[in-house]
Amino acid sequence: MIRLSYTTIIIAFLFCVSAPVWSVEAFPPPEFENPHPLPETMTPQPRQDVYEYVDVAVLLAALAVSSYLVLSKRSRRWIFVLMIFCLVYFGFWREGCVCPIGSIQNVTLAIFDSSYVIPVTTVAFFVLPLVFTLFFGRTFCAAVCPLGAIQDLVLLRPLSVPKWLEGALRLCAYVYLAAAVLFAATGSAFVICRYDPFVSFFRLSGSLNILVFGFCLLLIGIFVGRPYCRFLCPYGVILRQLSRLSKRRVTITPDECIKCRLCEDSCPFGAIKQPTAEWPAADYKRNKRTLAIMLVLLPVLVLLGGWAGLTLGPAASRVHETVRLAERIYAEDAGLVEGTTDASDAFRATGTAPTALYSEASVIRGNIKFGSALAGAFVALVAGLKLIALSRRWQTQDYEADRAGCVACGRCFEYCPKEHVRLGEKEQGAVNER
Amino acid sequence: MNADTMSLFQDRRLAVRVAVVAAVFSLIVVGLLITNYVKRTVSDAERTARLDAMKIVLARAPGNQELITEIRELDLTVRQNMIRRLDYSRKGAWFLLVSLVVLVAGLKWQSSLDKKPPAPQPTVQTSDRQSSLAAWSRRCVGVSVLVFLSAALLLGISPRIDFEQTGPAVSPYPSPEEINRNWPYFRGPGGAGRSAHKNVPTSFDPNTGKGILWKSPVPLLAFNSPVVWEDRVFLSGADVNDRQVYCYDGSSGRLLWTGDVPALPSPSPSEEEIEPMEDTGFAAPTMATDGRRVYAIFATGDIAAFDFNGRRVWARNLGTPENTYGYASSLTMYQSLVLVQYDQATPEDERSKFIALNTFTGRTVWDANRPVGNSWTSPVVVNVADKPQLLTVADPWAIAYNPADGSEIWRADCVGGEVASSPIDANGLVLVIKPYETIVAIKPDGSGDVTKTHIAWNVEADAPDICSPVSDGEFVFLLTTEGVIYCHKVADGALVWEKDLEASFYASPSIVGDYLYLVSSKGVMFVIEIGNEIKELSRSKLDEKSYASPAFVDGRIYIRGDKHLYCITNMD
Amino acid sequence: MPESKDKVTRRGFLREGLWGTSLAALGAAVGFFSAKGSKADTVWQIDPNKCTQCGNCATYCVLAESAVKCVHAYAVCGYCNICFGYFGAEPSDINTGAENQLCPTGAIKRTYVEDPYYEYTVDEKLCNGCGKCVKGCNTFGNGSLFLQVRHDRCVNCNECSIAVACPSDAFKRVSADKPYLLKGTDDTQ
Repeated sequence: MIRLSYTTIIIAFLFCVSAPVWSVEAFPPPEFENPHPLPETMTPQPRQDVYEYVDVAVLLAALAVSSYLVLSKRSRRWIFVLMIFCLVYFGFWREGCVCPIGSIQNVTLAIFDSSYVIPVTTVAFFVLPLVFTLFFGRTFCAAVCPLGAIQDLVLLRPLSVPKWLEGALRLCAYVYLAAAVLFAATGSAFVICRYDPFVSFFRLSGSLNILVFGFCLLLIGIFVGRPYCRFLCPYGVILRQLSRLSKRRVTITPDECIKCRLCEDSCPFGAIKQPTAEWPAADYKRNKRTLAIMLVLLPVLVLLGGWAGLTLGPAASRVHETVRLAERIYAEDAGLVEGTTDASDAFRATGTAPTALYSEASVIRGNIKFGSALAGAFVALVAGLKLIALSRRWQTQDYEADRAGCVACGRCFEYCPKEHVRLGEKEQGAVNER
Repeated sequence: MNADTMSLFQDRRLAVRVAVVAAVFSLIVVGLLITNYVKRTVSDAERTARLDAMKIVLARAPGNQELITEIRELDLTVRQNMIRRLDYSRKGAWFLLVSLVVLVAGLKWQSSLDKKPPAPQPTVQTSDRQSSLAAWSRRCVGVSVLVFLSAALLLGISPRIDFEQTGPAVSPYPSPEEINRNWPYFRGPGGAGRSAHKNVPTSFDPNTGKGILWKSPVPLLAFNSPVVWEDRVFLSGADVNDRQVYCYDGSSGRLLWTGDVPALPSPSPSEEEIEPMEDTGFAAPTMATDGRRVYAIFATGDIAAFDFNGRRVWARNLGTPENTYGYASSLTMYQSLVLVQYDQATPEDERSKFIALNTFTGRTVWDANRPVGNSWTSPVVVNVADKPQLLTVADPWAIAYNPADGSEIWRADCVGGEVASSPIDANGLVLVIKPYETIVAIKPDGSGDVTKTHIAWNVEADAPDICSPVSDGEFVFLLTTEGVIYCHKVADGALVWEKDLEASFYASPSIVGDYLYLVSSKGVMFVIEIGNEIKELSRSKLDEKSYASPAFVDGRIYIRGDKHLYCITNMD
Repeated sequence: MPESKDKVTRRGFLREGLWGTSLAALGAAVGFFSAKGSKADTVWQIDPNKCTQCGNCATYCVLAESAVKCVHAYAVCGYCNICFGYFGAEPSDINTGAENQLCPTGAIKRTYVEDPYYEYTVDEKLCNGCGKCVKGCNTFGNGSLFLQVRHDRCVNCNECSIAVACPSDAFKRVSADKPYLLKGTDDTQ
């Protein structure tokens, strides 16, 4: 017994003597005379997972209802109602996050970064609108997307954007998509989220700059229909291409077009294709030459775009915080800047050698340079293909909705006399039944 | 719907009125929200600044009840405002949202009533129009491609910082060659009191002014030695109220800037006022520099870093040092670390530590507890078999640490008394002084307690109590405060010669080339040729007292007198 | 025209093919990510060991009132009389006067337990996430105060604005099953 306590004393002594070496806990835990229960550290839980699945279910239902309303019921009024519901639910209630537009980044990150585990619900948000578009056209844009809804709501005095300007403006959306994929793939930033103009309205708070940007877009949106959707949305350009392939498409007329021209000015988004006239033979030849030039121009453009992207690469790499930190540490050590930033202080406190940081940042910069070249080539490819498309002789027989550009809002339905006939028939049918 | 509601719905004027009311309401709410925002960022910020200023005043005069009440009232106002404004902006946002919704609804209502029947344009699509439309579209796409390409190129070729290139001087700390060219800490590179420069002057004549390039007054008296980097000379000075760092231009002597070190809150304040001995002063420790910043520590425990332009980069207080004569250990450096020997009180109090601070931020990188009491020696960093060792000396241990992480390499029990002589390395041995008693040579290749195993020799000598020794590898020189200089052999510690110079010395001796330089407290610079017997070369007298060791650089000597800083240069 | 009919068939075939490929690709994506993906959502959290208490948490949150609050690990706390997270740098006196407190919003409450122990609790309604108390506690004390994202307030943005602004890379995505990294437990290991 004595020996045991002797050992205990030695151990306790060693404990006490070595305690100053531990700089972790300077003050020992309290020894209360009267038992005092320590309060619990509260840990409020986040939104339960089941609600995420509820969101997916609502999305699925909304997409289904929207497709039904656009293709079967063909009712602008009900599309409007569904749009309001989705604006309230996905916009103000869920505060606009995660949205299918942003999910592009999550999916890209999941492909390139094995340490990021993408939630299944986010995959659903990415895939569901795409699948519905493959079948029914852009019914997602019509009534489900809250960003589209908020723009659609403020559209009061639509002006038409000149048709020759549209293709060029849409190139911005491809640039945005390329940038979003590049920065998400390299783990630099989620630019779609960072520059989302409308999410600060949904949250009723946010950075002043983004609030002002969103407000300006909405002001423009009073006159120019859905400016973000048509010229900026990166998800929209994917939907455009899938919508071209869709099984069923939005039609202005419920059955046959009689070319009465009454729907010509009905689309605030410029998505109605008008019947084309026959082209004379002389034009035909000239057109063939233009087409040949554009075909040759395509690879040149792609190379140019790739080269421009490569040049932009190092500047673009500054979006990544590791590259920015490496530049800062280098500048401080070389005396190019004065003082330190919080980030450089925190880095130096870790005791890591700058050379390790530089090599990590070099790798990231190399990746971004490569990705940026690809992005540049991609944008140039899109531009080149557009040029080729504009050089081809296209023929439209009837007044039809442009498969890629039509957002299925349904505004044009009531302009078609055939539609009125169908509705009249319905009424007639209802009357007959009675 | 009955007829009444139908007609109400058709009333266009009502729609317009609703829209107008909602618009006006929205504008009012926006205005209120903006005022709220402005109030938050301007007047609340101003109140908070005032509160902070009052708290600083209170810190100087604690117990001022009036001030305390004022602070409490202002603090309450600030806190209440903070919460009120947040609440206000939240409610305002909801109001704005609702009124905007009503506005949009009203406008849509009005526009639905304004709907006109479709009236297609009289013009018809012709093939000319179509092909010209296509051509213009192509041109527009081409223009936008050019815009994007040029934007990408412009952004890409803008100047940027390329950390991938290997350029000169990117290191966060200087190279050994740079350190050896300058005099960056107490007793120069490696703390050995030696300089490798060949053209250092050996005499000057204050009467004719020959050899004195300039002399500049130093505002506050202190006993620290000058440190030099290229053409910049640094000193610090302090009294009970102020602590200052001075930067002089080496060629002209102009005081370029004065840096102030504020009184910083101490993490371990002492009950009494700090009163260092008059002979020590508030700024006894010598500064250190790495060519990027200069670092100075004072008897209050305040340590600060300034960049070469005079801007204070960081400052902190390490805790008031408990030291009988006043804190006097000079700083030294290793790579990106400022090394501080913080010996205090007695070994039993266990308060002594060695602290390493990051040069960029001042944050503690490592610290090590030392089993010693207070001392007045300075640490030195030397190379032993190509590995750095941080040598420290205090009663009773001489300890060597790894400067990178503070781990102990070896320790030897061979020191005693109130020791102020710093250790040096000489020909692979570490020489340590025990004042009045012995000089000890330790072999630094051991580990752990090497008292019994690695002491090469331990010789009785009239060892100094203030000046540090200096050695050229063959001989080691001890200089007592009373003025006797002893020359011992490094190999075995045997006394070779001694001489009473009949002066008193506080500054440590230095060796430059083949000469030994001593500066007496009366300001006389002795230059002695090193050899098996003493051979005095010259004596030059300043016309003021001097207590600090001089600094030697290419072609110049900087000596600090009690009133001026002198720059001595060759007399040709 | 026979030519256009051929064209239609060719174009139609191409369209059908692309349609099928797209659908297959989407199906493959779903399969791939379902296998790899997690059932639970990810949320943002601060690693208290990396946090340098820079103050960005209070200002960079997209919400007007930041979702980051100070949290207390009572098991780690020393219950000191002079708490370095409660009292400012040079307190006039050791009492709960506003002039002595470090917290700008008065969110830390000091209650006497028994001699010489005091309990410090954080009122989350008042805390703004500035981290001053955390800095004091970590520099001179036990480090029992630390910042955490509160999930009853956090909106769970896809890209957290505070995470972007954090200078020490302390924000990470954690599974919603274990949304906290608490000090004094195995979470922070």
